[in-house]
Amino acid sequence: MSSIISVICSAGMPTGERIDIVRRRFGNGEGPRFALVAGVRGDTPEGIRVAHKVCAHLQEYHTALKGTVDIYPCVNPLAAHRGIRRWPFFDQDLNRRFPGRAAAHAPDRVAFRLVEDLQGVDQLIEVRGAHSAFTEALQAHVRKGDSNALNVAKHANVEVVWERCPGPSSTSTLVYQFRDSIVLEGGTGNRLTTGIADDLCNGVLNILNVMGILPDDCLPFHWAGVTRPSVVDDDSVYRLRSEVGGLFLPSVKPWEIVSEGHCIGVVVDPISGRHLQAINAPVEGRVLALREQPVVLPGTMVARVVRTDQNV
Amino acid sequence: MSEIYRLEAPYRGVYKLERLSFGSGSPSISVVAGLHGNELNGLHTCNIVAGLLKMIRLNGTVHLFPSINTFGMDQGTKRWPLDDRDINKAFPGDPEGSAVERIACALLEATETDICIDIHSASPLMREIPQVRVPFSGKEVEYARAMGLPMVWRREGDRLDTTGLIGAWRSEGRAALHVIGGRGATLDIAASRTMANGVMRLLYHLGVLPVPVDADENRVDTTKSGVQYIYGMIGGFWVPEVRVGDEVKPGHLLGKITEVIGGGLLQEFRAETAGLVVTARTYPVVHAQELLIRIAELS
Repeated sequence: MSSIISVICSAGMPTGERIDIVRRRFGNGEGPRFALVAGVRGDTPEGIRVAHKVCAHLQEYHTALKGTVDIYPCVNPLAAHRGIRRWPFFDQDLNRRFPGRAAAHAPDRVAFRLVEDLQGVDQLIEVRGAHSAFTEALQAHVRKGDSNALNVAKHANVEVVWERCPGPSSTSTLVYQFRDSIVLEGGTGNRLTTGIADDLCNGVLNILNVMGILPDDCLPFHWAGVTRPSVVDDDSVYRLRSEVGGLFLPSVKPWEIVSEGHCIGVVVDPISGRHLQAINAPVEGRVLALREQPVVLPGTMVARVVRTDQNV
Repeated sequence: MSEIYRLEAPYRGVYKLERLSFGSGSPSISVVAGLHGNELNGLHTCNIVAGLLKMIRLNGTVHLFPSINTFGMDQGTKRWPLDDRDINKAFPGDPEGSAVERIACALLEATETDICIDIHSASPLMREIPQVRVPFSGKEVEYARAMGLPMVWRREGDRLDTTGLIGAWRSEGRAALHVIGGRGATLDIAASRTMANGVMRLLYHLGVLPVPVDADENRVDTTKSGVQYIYGMIGGFWVPEVRVGDEVKPGHLLGKITEVIGGGLLQEFRAETAGLVVTARTYPVVHAQELLIRIAELS
């Protein structure tokens, strides 16, 4: 058997049905322990696809592993079943429930059991897609000042590693519970995009190689082909917002190079089509995220542009 | 009625944050309702209060904000419909941020009054007795008791989260009262009247209202240790035997969880202590570890 499938937690339904949260373990339990968690939110299927791609590769090379790899392919299965962000019925964002509670409703218990099961992990990666209204360039997020995570994330085959300062709600996220954790993100919310999962899967395998868990000859690519990312922080990332209500019509693509003043898109009146506002790049850089859902209000973020005068 | 803030919205009319103001001078009181679009008892409470205040000369200022999340209200959603964000998690807000952050910022500025009241309903799955939640001590306890609502619940650390309106008010040193009553997504006329009477009694207590309002006693004045929480240990079909406002004695049958199909008994619940039912589950399908009943000790 290449992997051991364990149920780490079950959520009982009123009808008696049980919803299982599963872990697939590769390796014999020795060496460094790596964990990949996907599907914390149910509207990010790209992460789930990455988890299964990594599993498929490890299945082939499991005898060569020099460590333990735990894959949690989908920890919010009820939301994934419906393609929605939150745990249904309780309407709770699982990524705002950590570290969870042992005696509480299902989302809190799942959060608690997941944190418990991940104790002792040497490297945690959460992989997901974009917010459902956005397309994101391939990126890794690490906590500002976490140099270990930054050094690992540079091998994740992404375009950007973003060192983020924790916000007011970050303490209740999964990755906040563990040192050196990394978030991988890319693609479009609630759908699969050709190529995105391949890149993120290769990034995960490359990190396994860097950690010494997966030998060089088990990689499906040559290490020289791994993308070398830009490293940016919050000061380098500009959020562009609409100042009027209307339809945002983008004129660029994610990760496109833009110069200062370059038109990112326009907001038009939804009835007459009248031009209401041009959204321009505030700096020279690249488009890190782009709004795909066109309806906007004053203040709605339509894009993120990352300044590329450093490390690019 | 005055417009405090507006946002242009595509495909529909302008979003307006509207305020009803009565009287002038100090003391000043703000009453906010409808931060969550599917909680309507606070809206009705404000409208009852507005109907009374317009006939009375006041010795102070009363601002009523009957519905903050009007877009959520007309679509029956708790959160702001466009981006599904909770306005009550967006404080202190940002005048240059997203729509909910702008609304939160405008509301916080518009409620710079001596006393602030935020009225909510329970979730659509539960019903709450009209109550006011305050810290353990301080002027807020005096104000809460003066409202004469059925329950005063003193909770240390309650609403310290400054991304919520109550926490944001308290972090700025304003006296903040968190009022809850009835059930979400429905109109509970009795709870709305009770909460409106509570607001009027507080206005009389502060000297804003020159004429007294029928007095009512707090039936419960307690801390968390005086409240018994009843959780189901198993999922199933909840059949209640008591309602909010019922008094129970030890051994009183509160309800039972049965099999969804077939109705076989899975778990029966009886009161461990005497008290008042202050919270009751209304939606019958329950998951394991869900709150079913809260019983508070009578004063």
